[in-house]
Amino acid sequence: MTRAQTILYRAYWGLTLLLLALALMAAIRAPVEASMGPIQKLFYLHLPVAMNTFLSAFVVFIASLGYVWGRRRAWDDLAVAAAKVTVLNGTVLLLTGMLWARVAWGHWWTWSPRLAFSLLLWLLYAAYLSFRPMIESPSRRAITGAVYGVLAFLDVPLVYLSVKLLPDIHPDAVELAPQMQLVLALWFVPVTMITGGLIAARYLLSQRAHMDPRLAHAELRPTGMVT
Amino acid sequence: MSTLRLIALLVAKDLRAEARSWQTLGLLIVIGLLIVTVLGITGEGGRGSAALWTAYLFSGALCFERTMAVERRDDALAALILSPLTRGAMYAAKAATNLCMLLALVAIVTPVGLVFFGMSLRCTPATAAAALLLSMVGYAAAGTLFSAVSTRGSGPAGLVPLLVFPLTLPLVIASASLLDGRGGSLPILIAFDLIFIAGGWLASELLLEPRGAS
Repeated sequence: MTRAQTILYRAYWGLTLLLLALALMAAIRAPVEASMGPIQKLFYLHLPVAMNTFLSAFVVFIASLGYVWGRRRAWDDLAVAAAKVTVLNGTVLLLTGMLWARVAWGHWWTWSPRLAFSLLLWLLYAAYLSFRPMIESPSRRAITGAVYGVLAFLDVPLVYLSVKLLPDIHPDAVELAPQMQLVLALWFVPVTMITGGLIAARYLLSQRAHMDPRLAHAELRPTGMVT
Repeated sequence: MSTLRLIALLVAKDLRAEARSWQTLGLLIVIGLLIVTVLGITGEGGRGSAALWTAYLFSGALCFERTMAVERRDDALAALILSPLTRGAMYAAKAATNLCMLLALVAIVTPVGLVFFGMSLRCTPATAAAALLLSMVGYAAAGTLFSAVSTRGSGPAGLVPLLVFPLTLPLVIASASLLDGRGGSLPILIAFDLIFIAGGWLASELLLEPRGAS
């Protein structure tokens, strides 16, 4: 990594942490919602993470299409990086959803459409990461991952529509005061920056691993040209 | 060196290899969570739906692996690929074969399940037949496509369920909802079938290869 890249890297993550700290302070100072109580503040993290889970899943989709089209290893690396971040975001989404359910309804889990949707989305991309190491041939692994990545994203609207068939106990919509809406908007910035930063970092690490065998392990193993 | 010490060394070696790759444990955890999820989402309509869908999914995955293994034996698939037939047509033929097998499975297992669990249909027989037919079309389309990745029977165990189960969860929910009389899900089943038939036809050109995953 050149000196300029190191400075850019540190500035990016420094700014992200600063914005996250600001968003955290804004959430603490925001008024407490009347019906839900303090647990409503979890929503400031939950919604941006949910949107970023879709965003990173969309990156998997685009990168998978890119691989199908051009068969360049870089697209496959990007798809894997985005899938890892999708699973990470999905885990945060699930945990915050479960915490909300515990406080609001007294159960850690209920088969409500939104919780079920979070779980199914998580499973789609956790499976993507789990099957890849099972396929030995790098080119077969990449093309199978690309086909799965495209079909999984096309599956997401069907997952959303199907879970709506399950009985719902969620409130239809959460009414937010203007100050709360501002805090929510503030949270979108650092969460999106973390998602983008993690995808970029993981992608660059894969690129370096292809060049430096000492960094290789499992998925990052140098695999030669994918043709 | 005592036998106990040798056993301990072998166990340590296996666990160390697993800790580095997470291949087996990762697979077990995701498959385990998928089973729990299928039981959970179909369990809303009672134990019977959950049991039936678990049976369809696992028997179906076995069916996909076996019908593809037949083609890989003696390189029959390689010979087929050399023929003027397109890979899309080969995929369609294999999907149709798998669909016949799945429908036979449904015809036998469903009445047995209804009797064993004391279930009664909460929808009309025509709706139940349509729901199961459309579900099996979608499942055969998705399963056949990804069975092309598995190798000649000695490939990585669990690969086909891992690829197919997460994708087919909307199918499971929509079908179970229809069978439990909650309705409103035929368009989801039709959309799933169309996406996976078209996707399978197109992607078979990429995935259907003589050597599979190795």
